[in-house]
Amino acid sequence: MSAVAPAAAMPAPLPAAERSSGLPLVVLLLLPIALVNAFGFLAPVFNLLRMSFYESQATGAMVEVYTFATWASVLRDSFYAELILNSILVSLGITLMTLVCSYPIALYLHRSSGTWRTILLVLVISPLLTSAVVRTYGWVAILSENGLVNNALGAIGIAPLKLMFNKTGVVIGLTEILMPYMILALLAGFGRLDPRVEEAASTLGAPPWKVFRHIVVPLTMPGIALGSLLCFVLAVSSFITPKLLGGGRVFLLATEIYDQAIVTLNWPLAATLSILVLVIFGGALVLYTRALRAIM
Amino acid sequence: MTSRTDAPEGFLSIRSLTKRYGDFVAVDNLDLEVPKGELVAFLGPSGCGKTTSLRMIAGLVPATSGRIVVGGGDLTEVATHRRDMGLVFQSYALFPHMSVARNVAFGLEMRKVDKGEIAKRVKEAIALVHLTGKEEHRPAQLSGGQQQRVALARALVIRPSILLLDEPLSNLDAKLRDEMRNEIRDIQKRLGITAIFVTHDQVEALTMCDKVVVMNQGRLEQLGTPVELYETPKTAFVASFVGRSNRLTAVARNGAAEFAGQRIAAPAGLEGPVQVMIRPHRLGLSPASPAAADPARQQVTGTVARAIFAGDILQYDVDVGGQIVSVELATRGGESVIEPGRPVTLSWRPQDIFIYGAAA
Amino acid sequence: MKTYAKIAIGAGLATALLSSTAMAQQTVTVMAYSGLFQERYTKAVVEPFMKANPGIKVEYFPMPNSAQMLGNLRAQKAAPQADVVIMDVSVSKAATDEKLLTKIDEKNTPNVADLYPSARIADVDGVAVTFDNLVLLYNTDTVKETPKSWMDLADKKFAGKVAIPGMPDIQGLSLVLITDKARGGTDYLKNVDKGIAALGEIAPNVQTWEPKPEVYVTIISGQATVGAGWNARAQVNIDTSNGKLGATLPKEGSVFQINTINQVAGGPGKDAGAKFINYALSPEAQKAFTEAMFYAPTNAKAQISDAAIARTAVKSMDKVIPVDWIALAKVREPIMDQWRRKVIPLSR
Ligand SMILES: Nc1ncnc2c1ncn2[C@@H]1O[C@H](COP(=O)(O)OP(=O)(O)OP(=O)(O)O)[C@@H](O)[C@H]1O
Ligand SMILES: [Mg+2]
Repeated sequence: MSAVAPAAAMPAPLPAAERSSGLPLVVLLLLPIALVNAFGFLAPVFNLLRMSFYESQATGAMVEVYTFATWASVLRDSFYAELILNSILVSLGITLMTLVCSYPIALYLHRSSGTWRTILLVLVISPLLTSAVVRTYGWVAILSENGLVNNALGAIGIAPLKLMFNKTGVVIGLTEILMPYMILALLAGFGRLDPRVEEAASTLGAPPWKVFRHIVVPLTMPGIALGSLLCFVLAVSSFITPKLLGGGRVFLLATEIYDQAIVTLNWPLAATLSILVLVIFGGALVLYTRALRAIM
Repeated sequence: MTSRTDAPEGFLSIRSLTKRYGDFVAVDNLDLEVPKGELVAFLGPSGCGKTTSLRMIAGLVPATSGRIVVGGGDLTEVATHRRDMGLVFQSYALFPHMSVARNVAFGLEMRKVDKGEIAKRVKEAIALVHLTGKEEHRPAQLSGGQQQRVALARALVIRPSILLLDEPLSNLDAKLRDEMRNEIRDIQKRLGITAIFVTHDQVEALTMCDKVVVMNQGRLEQLGTPVELYETPKTAFVASFVGRSNRLTAVARNGAAEFAGQRIAAPAGLEGPVQVMIRPHRLGLSPASPAAADPARQQVTGTVARAIFAGDILQYDVDVGGQIVSVELATRGGESVIEPGRPVTLSWRPQDIFIYGAAA
Repeated sequence: MKTYAKIAIGAGLATALLSSTAMAQQTVTVMAYSGLFQERYTKAVVEPFMKANPGIKVEYFPMPNSAQMLGNLRAQKAAPQADVVIMDVSVSKAATDEKLLTKIDEKNTPNVADLYPSARIADVDGVAVTFDNLVLLYNTDTVKETPKSWMDLADKKFAGKVAIPGMPDIQGLSLVLITDKARGGTDYLKNVDKGIAALGEIAPNVQTWEPKPEVYVTIISGQATVGAGWNARAQVNIDTSNGKLGATLPKEGSVFQINTINQVAGGPGKDAGAKFINYALSPEAQKAFTEAMFYAPTNAKAQISDAAIARTAVKSMDKVIPVDWIALAKVREPIMDQWRRKVIPLSR
């Protein structure tokens, strides 16, 4: 509210010259969101940063004395290096799976029209209306030892597969949970795709897969980049699905942060790991902007 | 139908090609034989089905019925990328993410032409369309006309067996358009490419092309050489669409149409109201003195309604029995302009007048 | 947090209003576990307390776990909204160290005098209010013969059917301590190699180290058939599942999990809070809650029905291995490390 106040307080009929010398409109328009970000994002991050330097005693007590101990232990312990690497790799895997599963759907949606498109779009978005927890339990029913998949496999005489309580389960579950986000991001980035351009490529002798490779993929790159960034970030920060489908075997940054914050009570460590997650996000963002510049 | 067996089979042979969108017939039973190396124009008003015909030939839309045969091989069911046809799109359809050079090289890369050859041919093609120096530009950095030329270069560089051009010059200025017309014609002749050239512009169609197809509402109205179309238009539509014509009404009875007291031989079978067409510059005009009548010419009398001296020509609107007939006379110098209100005699050679049944 | 603030404000307002009309009315805010615990504790302790003390109103503020209670206490350090908090002993040690609590002793809370010695924990401001112990759980439909030993979990016939809440959950840690002792381990503060090795033998059978939503449900549903869990919840689940769940105290014994009751430093309710704590530790409250939820009592004078006492570890105290949770907290990190490197990899 307060962000609007300066604009409202300005005397309305300003001479043109004065107006241009005053605050640019853009700044005024960006001010509210800047303030929201400052309070809603920067302040908590600053708090996290500060907390990561607090001392954590073995009993779980947190003492507001500044120390590098937590950072030193995180940076020295190979477990956390593995954890970070594992988180990044698993999230990249999930992002890739999500992309592969979502791309054809998004392409089909992009090309469909009318009521059919609306119906499909609603179908795609509807999973977002149920919580990830509910959907994850759905996957438990499908993937468990006597779930849908293994029953079907059993019926044709195949031994049950371990699809759950391991990395496979986490990847499957998160892939499905993230697909709506990926599809929406892809659709948002498909603006440059023009059927005439694809046709032009085929008249020039490109078989369908080459049209896809040389025309469709490059033209949809903005969507691919956006969707991948979004899914990667969501995958790195998700912990409910890994908790439910990981069976305690899949160690990821987010689940570790949860354990440290909720079970072990080591808030400084949780804060340190959270900052590392932010650093990873920063890296992803840099890669994204680089990629975007390269494809535009 | 008999023409197909009589005429030499063309290199590109289009047989009973039809496209329906629901109840709407976009292309209606199109038959066309194009001999190898010929340039054929598709001429017709907007929405008559020119683009749709090209898209069917290129395989971009499936034909509802009919066949497309090239060099004796039926291509109707063959995928676009195997048809070896170059298509210049009405909307250019350049690859926005590729430079001009890569746009032009694309077709050659798909054909696995070797690198050196590609570079050479791309350079030539870009020079041909006067875009040397713009090789590394993206399409978005080019003007509409420049983009159109890239599209042209891209289609020409692959030396397709059939070149389909969908209004490829519509966005160029008059001078460049003239130049490009000549270039296209030259390349097409030199390489012996069989080509279809879609245009709205009758001058373009008449001056560039070996044959012209006039289309209207999805149907082929007439196919012929430019001279045939101009001198013997088969339908009122062709007569008015190719060149300009006075479009007059008359009544036909017993094999003759009566127009302002003059009886003109009409094609057999016509009775009742008919359309009479005659081109303005095929009319003679003289002060009303029927004495000096040339027996080889037919004539009627009227009154000058308007007279305009336009330098090269003298333009008259003459009121003949209530209908306005325009007349154009080349100026030779020294003639005096006949004042409005004066009676005049209009005359013509019988072969210059066309009579068609009245439009429904 | 938000809802808590709202409740707190609401409670504050209510207090203000009531105090202006009926000066006697006081409010005590009790922060404790949500779910089953809340339901049974309200019936067995909170309501009788309010009946006995018409001038005091108790607000039960539920939290899913101890850590979140500590989080709340930390956030409200400057202006505490709760008076009493019931949490795991190791968490109340942290809260004690952070000076979030007030010391409870015989002076302000007479009933403390009657507590078992083990209910008074050195260096912790609160005192034990319930004891619980780890039990072996099994699905009675599929497991006909009651398992005798924790090591039965390593039996090949349970391959892929074992559910254990693994470390950092203290149930996993407890299992390490129990098996370590059984195999001749002497001082869990020095090393628990034997216990880790025992868990390594069970590990290949484990279906999940993170049974959700709770291990009891997992076993009742048959998704897993054996596992480990807390006795009190197991007993309640035995009743609600009509005996589908079975629980047993294996021969190697068990360890206690201790919930402490604590007075928040500077809580708004002041002496009313101490009053509630004293009641919670009284023989009648202890009896009522043990009979309602089968936590073992911490008050030695509580006269509990035989039926209820049989379902707690009270009659098998010889099997309960004493654990100093406070000392253990200091070596939890290295044990966790061993768990990650020597147990989890064997269960893939
Ligand atoms: N996909 C389609 N669905 C329905 N009708 C269509 C479709 N494509 C074209 N048409 C219709 O077919 C007719 C012929 O279209 P076409 O594009 O071939 O015209 P054109 O002769 O190329 O016109 P212009 O000179 O304006 O380019 C038009 O009336 C058009 O509305
Ligand atoms: Mg067109």
